[in-house]
Formats: sequence, structure tokens, C-alpha cells
Amino acid sequence: MDERAWIDGLRRGEPGAFDAVFAAYRRGLYGYLVRMTRRRDIAEDLLQDTFLRLAQHARKLAPDTRLSAWLFTVAHRLVISWTRAQAVRAQLAGDLPAREVGSDDRSPLGALVDSQAQIALERAFASLAPPYREVALLVGVEGLAPTEVAEILGLKPDAIRQRLSRARIQLAAALGEHSPASRRVS
Amino acid sequence: MTDHDDVANLNEVVRGLPALDVEPTTAEQIARRARNDVGRGPSPLRFVEPAIAAILAAGYLAWAVIKVIESLGG
Repeated sequence: MDERAWIDGLRRGEPGAFDAVFAAYRRGLYGYLVRMTRRRDIAEDLLQDTFLRLAQHARKLAPDTRLSAWLFTVAHRLVISWTRAQAVRAQLAGDLPAREVGSDDRSPLGALVDSQAQIALERAFASLAPPYREVALLVGVEGLAPTEVAEILGLKPDAIRQRLSRARIQLAAALGEHSPASRRVS
Repeated sequence: MTDHDDVANLNEVVRGLPALDVEPTTAEQIARRARNDVGRGPSPLRFVEPAIAAILAAGYLAWAVIKVIESLGG
């Protein structure tokens, strides 16, 4: 079943089409959400919200909708809302400094990865500034084209290219000069 | 370095990232909740809260205007 068939099924309100889309995009969206929020529990909530919105808008989808762009746009907006809410909560809590994520082996991501190289890579990604991390995840991990990412984030393609370049440079710096992974990105 | 090189380098480096997935039971819960909403559209209850807030705000505004008129009149 291809994407067009899934969209036709969603527009007809078929649960089977929803299940197919959920199976196809669940992992990619969850990975993006975990790495953007750095919290599995929040990522699960936002994953549910993303698919709830798909379900609720199923009948209104245009026949030529690109599901990956649609779903990642929703997920991106949910991450922004969550980030803003987090900032307000932090301020109400007395401007407590944010904990350095990636420095704690007991972090949720730490529990998920099983090798030093993977941990180093996860930490390098976590150390990227959110705008760069987001572009690196969408292009590098999800394989979306920079033009698609520009559409998802509501930015000009030039801005995406700039972020992509800076993400690569920051990633190389974060991985260190001597690691094998850094040689691939420098 | 070109855009293409940036993309190629990123693609190469992220190969080392572990694939993340939600727990199967959680995934099934999420799918079940969302599946029930397929084609139903957003709940009409989402209009209730803004409507109540609008009514309260309008009532308060009307009360304030009446008070101002009363104080000016007399």
C-alpha cells in the first residue's frame, strides 16, 4: 500500500489506513521527539498528540498531502509549544538552571543506547543548539530534503542550508578531533 | 563545502545513532486512542471553554461600563 492509498483511506476514515501510517512513521517521529525534548515520557505524549491530530484531520487531508512533511510539521509545532511551556515553568520555579543533558549516564537516552560510540554520538547531538539539532535530525536521520525541512519549519531554504552547515561543524567539534565519527563530518 | 556535502556527511555520521522506538505496549495504547478518532474530527467540547471565558469577560465588561455610567450620572 503506498502513501496515496493511505491518504485515501484516511480521508474515508479507515482505521486500517491509520494503522499503516502509524507503523510507518512511529519510529521516526518518536526518535525526533526524544532527541528534541530529551525526555521519553514527553516524547510519548507528543507522539500521541501528533497521531491524534492526524486522526482528527484525516477527512480534511488533501489528496496530495505528503505525510512525512505533515506529521513532522505537527510534531515540530508540538515541540515548540512544549519548549515554551517549559521555559515558563522554569521561570516560575525561580529560574533554576537547566540540567546539562547528556552529562548523566542515567538519562533516558543513556538507557537506550548500548555502546560508547552511540553514547558519544547521542551526546554530540544533544549538545547541538536546538535549531541545528532539529535540522540535523530531519535531514540526517529522517532523510528529508532541505526544501521539505524548510517547509516544515516555516523557514527559507537558505536558512536551512546555513543551519545544516553549522550543525555539521558543531557536530564535528562536539565529537572531538580524534574520534572516528568526527573524521566523517569534518 | 557544498549543501550536498553537508547532507552526505550528516547522513554518514547519523548511521551510528541507535534507532529509538516507543515501548510496544505504549505504542499500542497510543494507536488505539488515536485510531478511535479517525475521521471524527476534533471534539466540539473544545469550543466550550472559550465560550464560557467570552461570556464571563463580556459580563464583566458590561458590569464595569454600568458602574462607570452610574458614577458619572450620579
